[in-house]
Amino acid sequence: MTPEPDLREALLAAVPSLRAFAISLSGQVDKADDLVQDTLLRALANLHRFERGTNLNAWLFTILRNLFHSEYRKLRREVEDPDGSYAGRMKIQPEQGAHLDFEDFRKALAQLPSDQREALLLVGASGFSYEEAASICGCAVGTIKSRVNRARLRLAALLNVDDMDDLGPDSMTRAALQG
Amino acid sequence: MTSDKGNKLARALPRTSLNDKLGTDAKLDSGSQKRIGDQLRAMYDELMQQPVPDRFKDLLDQLDKKKEGSK
Repeated sequence: MTPEPDLREALLAAVPSLRAFAISLSGQVDKADDLVQDTLLRALANLHRFERGTNLNAWLFTILRNLFHSEYRKLRREVEDPDGSYAGRMKIQPEQGAHLDFEDFRKALAQLPSDQREALLLVGASGFSYEEAASICGCAVGTIKSRVNRARLRLAALLNVDDMDDLGPDSMTRAALQG
Repeated sequence: MTSDKGNKLARALPRTSLNDKLGTDAKLDSGSQKRIGDQLRAMYDELMQQPVPDRFKDLLDQLDKKKEGSK
């Protein structure tokens, strides 16, 4: 099937949101871009399976999410480290677009279990409904709702703890840097 | 209305955060939920606004040409 110009534009238009999702999911810009590239290639190879009129973004997110998880399973031992080397990698370098403002938030996000992080990103940031997120993740709507709720609770706890801890020198450093 | 700079706001108002923390049970209050949502979207918007790397445009262009050639 020839990708029509419309479709090419639609795929290109989806790249920023796919990248944002992939970066937030994996914590690594390089890996995220590889994921997005693999997603586009797989989408193009399977265009005949895409139902016209359905949500192209949801379809692309499903592909990306599945690619991420099949790779993630291979790397599970490395990635799911309780001592937080994964969280460490979430400290994306400034030239990769992370501002100081989001440093604490990124760290907190990286500490969530991946299923909760994924659900929160889909519903809270990517703009999908609970139903769409459930379809993308291949699970029940109630499961997504529960994951999103737990993700928010955990983030709130993590960030508030940080706020209290940061009443010391770090907030002064921050004030100095922002001043 | 919390601004896009939710994180800064949280920094500027530590007492609010403290109160939220003390008032948070299993159910997240709407203020905390909103602040987290604002921060998440602000972080995400920043990622979305990054320019699309050329590799993706090139990839789609190449495929277009390949398809044209194979017609």
